[in-house]
Amino acid sequence: MNSAAIEVNNVSAAYGNKKALDAVTLVVPAGSSFALLGPNGAGKTTLINILCTLRRPDGGTAVVAGADVITRPTQARRSIGVVFQDSSLDDRLTAWENLEFHGLVYGMAARPRRAMIDSVLDLVELGDWTHEIVRSFSGGMRRRLEIARALLHEPKILFLDEPTVGLDAQTRQRIWQYLDRLRRERDLTVLTTTHYIEEVEGADIVCIIDHGKIIAQASPEALKREHGVRSLHVIPQDAAAAELIVQRFPEAHRLGAEGLVIPADQDAQTDAFLAEFRDRLSEVRFQPPTLESVFLSLTGRQLRDRTDGQRDADRAAGQRGGRR
Amino acid sequence: MSPIILLRGIYAIWLREITRATRDRAQLIGGVSRPLIWLLILGVGLNPYFRGEVYGEVRFVIPYTYLQFLFPAVIVLNIMYTSIQFAVSVIWDREFGFLREVLVSPMPRPLILLGKVLGGSTIAMIHGGLVLILARFADVTLTLGQMFVALGLMFVLAFGLTSFGVLLAARVRSFEGFGVFSNTIILPLYFASSSVFPLDPALTRTQMVTAYPEWLVFLVQINPITYAVDALRGVLIGFNQFPPTYGWAVIAAMAVVFFLVALIDFSRS
Amino acid sequence: MSKRAPHRWRPAAINLMIVAALMSVLSFLPPDTSLSDRQRSGVLKLCVPQSFPPLVTGDPNAPGYDVELAGAVAEALGLRLTVNVLPSIGRDYNPRNWSLTRAQCDVVGGGVADTPQTRSFMQTIPTQARTGWVGISRTGALPPEGQTIAVLPGTSGMDRLALSGWLRQQRLRAQAVRGPAELNQALQSGAAAAAITERFVAAGLDLDPSAFQMFWLEGDTFASFPMALGVWKGDQTLSRAVGAALAELESSGALEHMRERYGVGSDLGANRS
Repeated sequence: MNSAAIEVNNVSAAYGNKKALDAVTLVVPAGSSFALLGPNGAGKTTLINILCTLRRPDGGTAVVAGADVITRPTQARRSIGVVFQDSSLDDRLTAWENLEFHGLVYGMAARPRRAMIDSVLDLVELGDWTHEIVRSFSGGMRRRLEIARALLHEPKILFLDEPTVGLDAQTRQRIWQYLDRLRRERDLTVLTTTHYIEEVEGADIVCIIDHGKIIAQASPEALKREHGVRSLHVIPQDAAAAELIVQRFPEAHRLGAEGLVIPADQDAQTDAFLAEFRDRLSEVRFQPPTLESVFLSLTGRQLRDRTDGQRDADRAAGQRGGRR
Repeated sequence: MSPIILLRGIYAIWLREITRATRDRAQLIGGVSRPLIWLLILGVGLNPYFRGEVYGEVRFVIPYTYLQFLFPAVIVLNIMYTSIQFAVSVIWDREFGFLREVLVSPMPRPLILLGKVLGGSTIAMIHGGLVLILARFADVTLTLGQMFVALGLMFVLAFGLTSFGVLLAARVRSFEGFGVFSNTIILPLYFASSSVFPLDPALTRTQMVTAYPEWLVFLVQINPITYAVDALRGVLIGFNQFPPTYGWAVIAAMAVVFFLVALIDFSRS
Repeated sequence: MSKRAPHRWRPAAINLMIVAALMSVLSFLPPDTSLSDRQRSGVLKLCVPQSFPPLVTGDPNAPGYDVELAGAVAEALGLRLTVNVLPSIGRDYNPRNWSLTRAQCDVVGGGVADTPQTRSFMQTIPTQARTGWVGISRTGALPPEGQTIAVLPGTSGMDRLALSGWLRQQRLRAQAVRGPAELNQALQSGAAAAAITERFVAAGLDLDPSAFQMFWLEGDTFASFPMALGVWKGDQTLSRAVGAALAELESSGALEHMRERYGVGSDLGANRS
């Protein structure tokens, strides 16, 4: 009995000349919460498409729920549920009709289907909206409905591609709570892709991907331990002090309007800095290693630049077509 | 997978299309407005040019009035438009929307396409059936039997045309482009199908060629829509310009051939 | 926010019914002004040839089946019937030279056969009169081989060549006669065992119905022709109104009566009063 829900071995994929995935290898244990973390364009969606058999890899193999995605895609599909990044609900049908469609397509018989529909709608707390047309749903409600739909046929693995994009913080939290509960209650394996670092703190395994390559794969604590960098957040007293600091420590970078962040992994360097600038700082704070810093130290780049959030919100608004 | 499971899937896909089409009142009215306009305005407007003025001299020598002649052709035009439009939505679905949800399910690709095409054909048949209500206006009398046969013919014709549309739509990248494309295909096919002007069956080929240019006569004779319109005329007003079996054979052949090709194309992408 | 499921097909049914109702209403639009034109002028013009008994006789007391029928229809439509007698009809092989025009005629009668050829030029409204080859004999059937048949071809365009060929095949001797009186003579005297003529001509013969019987000639070459009134193509409202009036007259039995009087029905038993 295999305890790995998903095994990916040396998978490569390219769009024309551009390489999207480069010899990706990873293992997702059954029943775990697995987060695939990386910036936009890292290859996350491509990998998900391969794992849910929408696309064939150009090289390598992938085994999902015990079935090879190339040779036995149909069998793989029976055990997976997918929530896509772009909403794939039918706006003109009711929630119930959307779920019924799904149930029929997966071959469920009438009575178990109806029972399951009621059950999943209660699970995501959309029971009151069973017979409303989906067009009237908010972004968060749609996501919840899509999660409910993906679970209707009781899959073993749930794929979620950027599930919280375009949602406000409170809804995001709620969705992650559902997912955790589901995992525990139904022994589900959940694989999510995201570029929101703060959301993967609770995952069992975080896999960092950039430019189509896997950079690291471990639990969040292990990653922070190995690659995380403690940093020093300071607010200089004046602009001149800030200038000086930046000159002396090129690896410092700005944070907000006034603050500066300086890596503090080497005690000697930290001591030297404090010695030199202590009097010219109004605020000093040590920051424990974050995944952000893990990413930074592994790739030398920020995971998200400031504009990402705005871009996401714009995209979500565009998809809604300007409607609310 | 057991047949019941597969049937459930096809049913789901078919049901969704029907539900969407019948809930959209604007789309329904838009769908019948085209034949309405053709019949009401073209048929009535052109009437004075086609009615008899002097016995023995009629520009249009077939044993029916122009409106009767035009009526089945208007239905076929409607089916053409409905089928092609539906095909566009299939491709749209696949690229951007809902169909992805079906593509990750265990439903086999051929059956997904089948469900879609069946849905589209049913919708086209409903639209065509609504136009049959105008039969009284065009002085076409219909028995119940005729209506059923006509609806069946419309369904099979729509099946072929929808599959053809899926083939076309998969080739064209943008949707604006597709609109232009479809108009350059639909309208010429339609006009070159002896739909609006009849080729006098009493004329031999040489005589026909004196009345119309050679290339037009040729186009009309190789155009499958010509035979489709002819078959529907045979059912609705009992008039055939060509041997009646041709029309049915062409319609059936289109349905089978286009569906199979669309299937191969769809499964590959 | 409802938990109760609305009937899933209700919106669809409503939409379909609305559209169907819209189409129904539109289907009652008049496609042309032919009927209203006639109603405005108050006159219905019937064009007939000079003589085509028993459809057109020229006798004011019994003007002919088609003329009387047209009169009844005009009355039903609230119009006055005007009969234009056009001698040019039937005189030429080419119908174009008959000068039947829309200006002179709203309805054409007196020999319009309800065939696809005719329908290429006009819309036809059947009048339930029929013509074709009929035989007349004492027995009610054709005599055996070798006998003489008196043949009076008549003026309608039925295929005489086919008839003579067929008679030759049946080994019956055809003897042409020049008119109804001669035919009568030949039958009464027994010079001919039977006679063949066109049905309308036969209706005009003065034969004792108890002695002689009429029968349609059977055979592939002998289809009987239903007769009709002709209305111009494109005059849809007029032709619908005329057709409706005719149907009304038919169901009331008035037409049946007329047919019996003129001897033009398909039923050959009742000859004439």
